[in-house]
Amino acid sequence: MAITREFVLEFLRARKMSDPAQLAPYLDDDVDWRISGPVDVLPQCGQRSGKAEVIDAICRVSPELFGTREFEIDHLLIHGDYAATLGRFHATHAATGRQISFRSAHFMRFRNDKLVWYRGLIDSFSATEQVMGHELDIAHAPDLVSIAPDADLVEI
Amino acid sequence: MAKPVSPSIVQAFYQAYASRNAERIAPLVADHVKWTIVGPSQIFPFCGEHRGKAAVMKLFTDIFPKTIQFRQMEPEVMVIDGDRAATFIKVTGYLHNSARVITYHCGQFIRFEDDKVVCFRSIIDSFDAAEQALGHHIDPMHEPARHLPIDPNGTIVAI
Repeated sequence: MAITREFVLEFLRARKMSDPAQLAPYLDDDVDWRISGPVDVLPQCGQRSGKAEVIDAICRVSPELFGTREFEIDHLLIHGDYAATLGRFHATHAATGRQISFRSAHFMRFRNDKLVWYRGLIDSFSATEQVMGHELDIAHAPDLVSIAPDADLVEI
Repeated sequence: MAKPVSPSIVQAFYQAYASRNAERIAPLVADHVKWTIVGPSQIFPFCGEHRGKAAVMKLFTDIFPKTIQFRQMEPEVMVIDGDRAATFIKVTGYLHNSARVITYHCGQFIRFEDDKVVCFRSIIDSFDAAEQALGHHIDPMHEPARHLPIDPNGTIVAI
């Protein structure tokens, strides 16, 4: 059954509210969810599998980083079970109160009115700079540090 | 109401786009096109806003060829709705300046008028793509050194 524009907007509103009770009915038990971005700076990014992990990412992890969240939608396309949006994510950085805004896109597939597949793309370079509060030093190559004592390393 | 774009036109555009051949792309792009690729332009010179057909053609005849040779474009999802198309696509390309192959996902949103592209917006996982292009991790904690302002007499000014 094809989804509607209103249904997708309702889902995005439930996502913005970050209320598990409102969000849960839109998610399939086995939803496959991924947002691109560096998880050490943007912990809501990365892979989530299943309804519980997605609810945790949206309702606990994301609000810890961003106090207020708003999805501005410039384009919303629907075809069959698929939806795609392009817009801008506006938020308040919870730790500093800084206003943050970066481009984001969502690609979604629904089945029986439940989200089964989601890919979020964000301008993660800009998002990281805004969260950190400074430009990224692209000339600086960090040293990689082994987390294991030398004696534990096996030559291959 | 805007005239819907047919799947065959979208398909033709993507075939031309994948070819990176400006002569094939030109007939499918409107004179007043607005073409935006979101990302760090200091790493990817093709990022930014390109207005008008001449600027977009320059992307394909000059900027892309000097920067990246696209090896593969794999659309994973395509949504066509009215006069618009959106594609979730995996791109693999060879960077000329570093001889590195990079792979990243991008989302492309295109609006057509009279079967020609009038608006093209692309968003990529820019942090990951930048790390691949640079060939090393980016340490988000590390701030770049501030450039000291220098006065015309060559004296460093305290900041």
